[in-house]
Amino acid sequence: MNWPGLLPKGLSVKFALTITAVVAGVAFTIGAVIITLDWQRFQRELENKALLLAHSVAVTAPEDILQSDYWSLYKSLKNMVSQIPGGMQDTHILTGMIQDPNGIVLAHLNPNDNPLGMHPVHPNDLETRLFAAAGEVRSPTILSSGIGEGGFLEGVVPIYSDEKLLGVVRVRLSYSELYMKSLRSTLIIIGLTLALVVLGSLLGGAISRRITMPLTAMTEGMEIVGRGELSEIKPIPVSNDDELGILASTFNKMAKELAEKKFLEEQIAVSEKLIALGRISAGVAHEVNNPLAGLMNCIDTLKKHPEDPELVERYLPLLDKGLNRIKNIVESLLIELRIEDAQDTDRSTTLEDLRDIVESEINGRDIDFVWHNHLGEDVMINRRRVQQIALNLLKNSIQAVDESGVVTFRTFRDGDCVVLEVSDNGPGIPAENRTQLFDPFFTTKTNGTGLGLWIVYRLVESMRGVIEVESEEGGGTQFHVSLPAMEVST
Amino acid sequence: MRKSWAAYLCLSVFLCVNMSSGVRAANVEISGAAKPIRFGLTAVVVRENLRFLDQWAYYLSQQMGRPVKFVRRRSYREVMDMLESGSLDFAWICGFPYVQKREPEFIKLISVPIYKGHPLYHSFIIVHNDSPYQSLEDLKGKTFAYSDPESNSGFLYPQYLLAQRGTNKETFFRQTFFTFNHAETVEAVAERFADGGAVDSYIWEYLKEFRPALVNRTRVINRSPAFGFPPLVARLGVDLETVWRMKRVFRGMNDKPDGRKFLDGLKLDGFGDFPPGLFDNIREMVQKIHSSQPRAKSKASNAGAITVKKE
Repeated sequence: MNWPGLLPKGLSVKFALTITAVVAGVAFTIGAVIITLDWQRFQRELENKALLLAHSVAVTAPEDILQSDYWSLYKSLKNMVSQIPGGMQDTHILTGMIQDPNGIVLAHLNPNDNPLGMHPVHPNDLETRLFAAAGEVRSPTILSSGIGEGGFLEGVVPIYSDEKLLGVVRVRLSYSELYMKSLRSTLIIIGLTLALVVLGSLLGGAISRRITMPLTAMTEGMEIVGRGELSEIKPIPVSNDDELGILASTFNKMAKELAEKKFLEEQIAVSEKLIALGRISAGVAHEVNNPLAGLMNCIDTLKKHPEDPELVERYLPLLDKGLNRIKNIVESLLIELRIEDAQDTDRSTTLEDLRDIVESEINGRDIDFVWHNHLGEDVMINRRRVQQIALNLLKNSIQAVDESGVVTFRTFRDGDCVVLEVSDNGPGIPAENRTQLFDPFFTTKTNGTGLGLWIVYRLVESMRGVIEVESEEGGGTQFHVSLPAMEVST
Repeated sequence: MRKSWAAYLCLSVFLCVNMSSGVRAANVEISGAAKPIRFGLTAVVVRENLRFLDQWAYYLSQQMGRPVKFVRRRSYREVMDMLESGSLDFAWICGFPYVQKREPEFIKLISVPIYKGHPLYHSFIIVHNDSPYQSLEDLKGKTFAYSDPESNSGFLYPQYLLAQRGTNKETFFRQTFFTFNHAETVEAVAERFADGGAVDSYIWEYLKEFRPALVNRTRVINRSPAFGFPPLVARLGVDLETVWRMKRVFRGMNDKPDGRKFLDGLKLDGFGDFPPGLFDNIREMVQKIHSSQPRAKSKASNAGAITVKKE
């Protein structure tokens, strides 16, 4: 049997069980006490009955004994049985007898076995013992066979006349009445106790439900808060102004404030998005507009002097340069859009593929490129996002370092994360530029688009990763990107 | 047997209904007119039928033109004392008290019931049906129930039997006691409280009809010769007119439908006039017992030779 599995877990169950157990304990204890008291009371009643009956015979006996009127003695025993007083209908008189001080039977309800004028028969030790005890009785006494099957008690009342002992009356009552009455009262008490226990458990259930319902609701609310679905929290009904009520209303207030806060944050995020979009649009417009003005000038000049080959020769490279710049800007934007929309499961690439691209980017410069891939061949980087992140960061570093610079790429597994580290010994990022580092179109390079790091930032953010920059002026720069492994490999 | 029970019940109901209207008249008569005639009853009549006795008393009152009141006493002795003192006018007593010598005599015979055609009955010695006893001799050392110390059938006759056998009447039985009622003697034997008992044959046969379950537990082992049936007597002080009318009323019961019903209830044929010699054999028994025990002394002035046994 799996006890731990059976043990109640919920507070509501524990509470109800505790109340039930307490009620049951109290009810059973009281029941047991009442049953015991009842038993004692019934026993006393039975004893009193036996003495009362024996007395009723003993009262008229002296005269009959003195006159040897055995028939009257016998009849008084018979009358005792047949005219049993009201309220004694359950009483079962087993037998009754009158014996003289020598133990001779003067009258017996079973005359056939206990003839008049002889000693009564003693079929067993108990009878002999009772007979001897009855012979010693000088005042009303109760003798008992002991409780048990066929048990009985005897009311023994001595018969006196003028202080002379004439005999004793013995009236034997069965304990069956006692058993019957006790059984009856025991059944009633057990019934009541069970009813109390049921009531108690219902009450316990109700109370624990009343107490734990707000707690359960709060727990569910907390879980919802944990999931961030704040709008789904339903207010907990506040029924009382006790501690639970206060707790519930406090929770409701908190949930409401959290929901409002989240709503505000969402609004802010939306407006920030709009602002960013505006800035991007303005940047695009500005970036595209700059070369456009030059291009328009070139085209105007070429229109005015169509036959001047020198002009064509001089302006065509300018046109080409300006258009390329516009193309680069548009491509950068397109790359980002493509990455965000595409489900690129068609092609899987490891980081080692990246190495060749970087080598070509160095393009023969005297740069020391250090490659530490601790992920191993088996870790698939099947997302172009990761490649894009690494590539953009490496490009920046390569561009940042002078001749004989060192660019290091390190990637390794750190728990559930895949870490990419790109470092260089370039001039570092000036302090005033660090806050704008990831802004779109922010660039320090003459021909840069200012979109590279912005794209990296957006990609890391979209993969729920973290990007950190450590940079010292003149001391090089290190980008540290930590991406959840799940996002990297799937 | 059940049929006769039913008949008896019907009779009782009939009498009850029939006479309930008349009771009030009788009461008026009692309160308004003459002082009631007091009629003593003993164990001769079965005691339990109170309603029957009330109705019979009412019948007698009507017949007599004077209220008749039955006075029941436990023993013959009490009834005899009341006759002597004048607190009873008539009584239905037993042949034994009747034959006892009284100085001066204060009763006279007025009527004797006729039972099964004769003014006679017997004394039965009975034992329990399941007991092995076949004769009085077998009851030696046993318990024995007498009905009344002044009953012929219930005491005198068994005493006579013992005296005839020359045994000691005091020690023959282990224990004896008086029930003061023939019916209870039958009960005592039927319930084995007594091993044997002496009863009036009329009562035993009467009970055999109405309480067969009781009587069938007993068996008769000795049947006495016929004795004069317990007679009705009048106190000598009662005026002759009343005595004469009482005699006539009893004698006439058989001729009247109402009276007939009471006779049926009593299982008697009627009441008749018989000479005192009817009870001579009882008197002889008394004398024989007396002579067999010369030392026994009569303690009461009006008692016979038999002393009431007290232990």
